[in-house]
Amino acid sequence: MAMDPDLNLDMDMDMDMETLADDADTALAGDSGGEAERNEAAEAEAEAERYEAAEAEADILRDRFRLAVICIATAEGKKAGMTVADPVVACIADLAFKSAEQLAKDAELFAQHAGRKSVRMDDVILTAHRNEHLMGMLRTFSQELKGKEPASERKRKKSSKKDERVIDV
Amino acid sequence: MDEDGTTGNSPAAETFDPDLIHAIFKLVWRRRVGKGGGGNEDIDVEPAPETSRRNRSTTANANALKVSCELLRIFVTEAIQRSAFIAEAEDGSVFEPTHLERVLPQLLLDF
Repeated sequence: MAMDPDLNLDMDMDMDMETLADDADTALAGDSGGEAERNEAAEAEAEAERYEAAEAEADILRDRFRLAVICIATAEGKKAGMTVADPVVACIADLAFKSAEQLAKDAELFAQHAGRKSVRMDDVILTAHRNEHLMGMLRTFSQELKGKEPASERKRKKSSKKDERVIDV
Repeated sequence: MDEDGTTGNSPAAETFDPDLIHAIFKLVWRRRVGKGGGGNEDIDVEPAPETSRRNRSTTANANALKVSCELLRIFVTEAIQRSAFIAEAEDGSVFEPTHLERVLPQLLLDF
């Protein structure tokens, strides 16, 4: 078997280079190597396609989100008797979108931490823990929502839940 | 529906559509499943959408979405109100990017 001179050099380099050289070696080795290379290329292409599709979807959502932000911002600006310039709204929209993505990640982490697969109100409220005032506002809002339906879940996460119904403190 | 007259019985504030927020969340969660699946789970990271992987992706409560909408709405409202505060001090009638710049650090820290 003809060993590439590169492989000798790779002995001195990192493991990464070595594994790359191994792949290259298998690719050069024969017919089976060629198939592996094709499969890898096909997989990479499929992944790139999926990535692009996800990006396109994200763009659509970003546009819809921007429209909603424009709506809210102009209504809010009117209350203050001012008009909002386009670049400002675009900026706020992008920030809000990133905020929403961060919110999704945090809420998912909290839910998983609690051993759940579904994100609940409490998880979302927890993501605002840095701002007490904001958390209070969200709690009030959630109380109103809960008041409309006979829910029995409580805010405090106690480790031992004896009954399903917890007494309201 | 857009009338600039005196509105008597429409005090409802503008807010985000829960479905839109849900779609954004699902996108983020799907992205996470693809990227960070190798660390915590036993299954290998496979490109084909298996049922076991679908079960792992997170879902959201209806109330959670509403609270999220509220949170984001408050974010936008706060940004506008704080910028208005600065703009009024400068006797402006239009929001300038400079107004937003001034409120940005505190806003990002708060959220």
